[in-house]
Amino acid sequence: MKSTKARLRFGKAVKTLLAVSLASIFMLPLLWVFSNSLRPGSETFTWLDPISWQTFFPANPNFDNYLALADTSLGQGILNSLWTTLLTLVFGLALCSGAAYALAALEFRGRQLLFSVVIFSLLIPFDAIAIPLVSMFKGLGLQNTVAGLILPGVANGMAIFLLRTFFLGIPKELVEASRIDGLNWFGVFFRIYLPLSKPALVGASLILFLFQWHAYIWPLLIGTGERTLLGPIALANMKSQYAVDFGLVFAGSVLLSVIPLALILVGQKYFIQSSSTSGIK
Amino acid sequence: MKRKELYWALLVFLAPAVLALVVMRILPAAQALIESLFKTNVFSGEKTFVGVDNYVSLFENPDFQNTIAVTILFAFLVNPIQVFSALLLALLFVRAFPFSRLLRSLIIFPIAVPPAVAAVMWSAVYRPDGLANGILKSLGLSTQGFILDEEQALMAIIVMLSWIGVGYWMLFLIAGLNDIPDEIYEAARIDGAGYIRQTVSVTMPLLGRPLSFVLVATTISNFLVFAPVLILTRGGPVGSTSLLMYDIFLRAYSFGDIGRANAGVFILILLMVTAVSLQFFLLRKGNQQ
Repeated sequence: MKSTKARLRFGKAVKTLLAVSLASIFMLPLLWVFSNSLRPGSETFTWLDPISWQTFFPANPNFDNYLALADTSLGQGILNSLWTTLLTLVFGLALCSGAAYALAALEFRGRQLLFSVVIFSLLIPFDAIAIPLVSMFKGLGLQNTVAGLILPGVANGMAIFLLRTFFLGIPKELVEASRIDGLNWFGVFFRIYLPLSKPALVGASLILFLFQWHAYIWPLLIGTGERTLLGPIALANMKSQYAVDFGLVFAGSVLLSVIPLALILVGQKYFIQSSSTSGIK
Repeated sequence: MKRKELYWALLVFLAPAVLALVVMRILPAAQALIESLFKTNVFSGEKTFVGVDNYVSLFENPDFQNTIAVTILFAFLVNPIQVFSALLLALLFVRAFPFSRLLRSLIIFPIAVPPAVAAVMWSAVYRPDGLANGILKSLGLSTQGFILDEEQALMAIIVMLSWIGVGYWMLFLIAGLNDIPDEIYEAARIDGAGYIRQTVSVTMPLLGRPLSFVLVATTISNFLVFAPVLILTRGGPVGSTSLLMYDIFLRAYSFGDIGRANAGVFILILLMVTAVSLQFFLLRKGNQQ
């Protein structure tokens, strides 16, 4: 009996050791980027031969690079990213939760057909059709507009699918009772469905947010004006300049990564929950 | 009265999203198919119907042949690597051990990094004087060319993409592993099955659905890889990383060849559908045995 216990403890120690080394490998590039965002760009490649503690921990860390971002197109790009992503999130949640509600709670002819439109749209990856869509958007005068940037992100088949699955779990009796009490369909949505669906709404928000924040090909094609240049595009532009200041580039990289990271860590629990109940597994 | 209210509700709740999906997903796909059958004059913008000429000339073009070969090779490398690593990570992290929650969070950190940002970071990692060679030198190993080396560039991109994606797929597999009832493991243990036997005979068959979901989802997302190629290698060196999405982009925007670019889009969609159906077919066959 005792030997089994000892073996178990040994197994756990081995697992921890293995996990620590794996996590270090995953973290190494990020740590290096972060530490170099805290020192002048002229020193980015100076602490690599040989590797020492200074490679990953700057002796005199400062936030100069972050402050300097304010005057660059990258700083503006990060603000543009925040604004467009926020708009995508607000409009996207309204659109997707509404559609999911109609498909889950309202009974009408053609419901199955319209749901298959949603499913069919899931099979067409957006990045693949971005190039044909651009000519349509240009024709409508949507180039270099915020509307042009956010429109493709607001109707998200995955978010609708996730919300609908969750909404289907809300008991019909509840809806019938409140209908008898005189609530109309708008009231049922706002008073019953939305308040009961927090986990699914968090999951859908994460999907909508990441779609827009991580987008690259669409904003590259549709908007590179001052107000519509998004963070990742500005970052790649800065990197391809002749003299690259990696202090600035890395400070921008850190900001562009930390914002979604915070949301993922907060939403992680809901996200796994909702994806494991949405039937995609 | 009730009818009218229902119609209003449908108009307000459902119509905008369905309209948006039709206009911004389904129509462009149809448009790609139609435009791929036309040739557009770069100067006059005039369109002439050419049937499958765009497809024929694409497949006769050596650069495009190379692109298709690279895209298929890439798919056969990156997808098994990512699914297998995600599975190993999920098996490691599914049961608690000291610091497991913290360490798991560190593994999923890179999910947050937008692909274009990751490519910019790794362009510095892969530089001849960058982090990767710094580590190799400190370990007493010889330095490598990475994205500058024709033989290594594709693998360098695969490593970067796996760094971003593997933690994400691990989360789905952990959720799947958690759904396997403990009683089954208990029964297997009583029958004398060790850890490896349990993994092969209990875990793997019961993990079929989440595993096939992850395989299909990685396949789709890896056919769409674009930003890393544009930022890290521009398809080079010597076409060794010329993936299909990048080729389409180049045709549309550098060559202004909308007809062939749209033919490329349609070929991409066909490749994805073929790969995914093949996986479903093989998985179903595997399950029947």
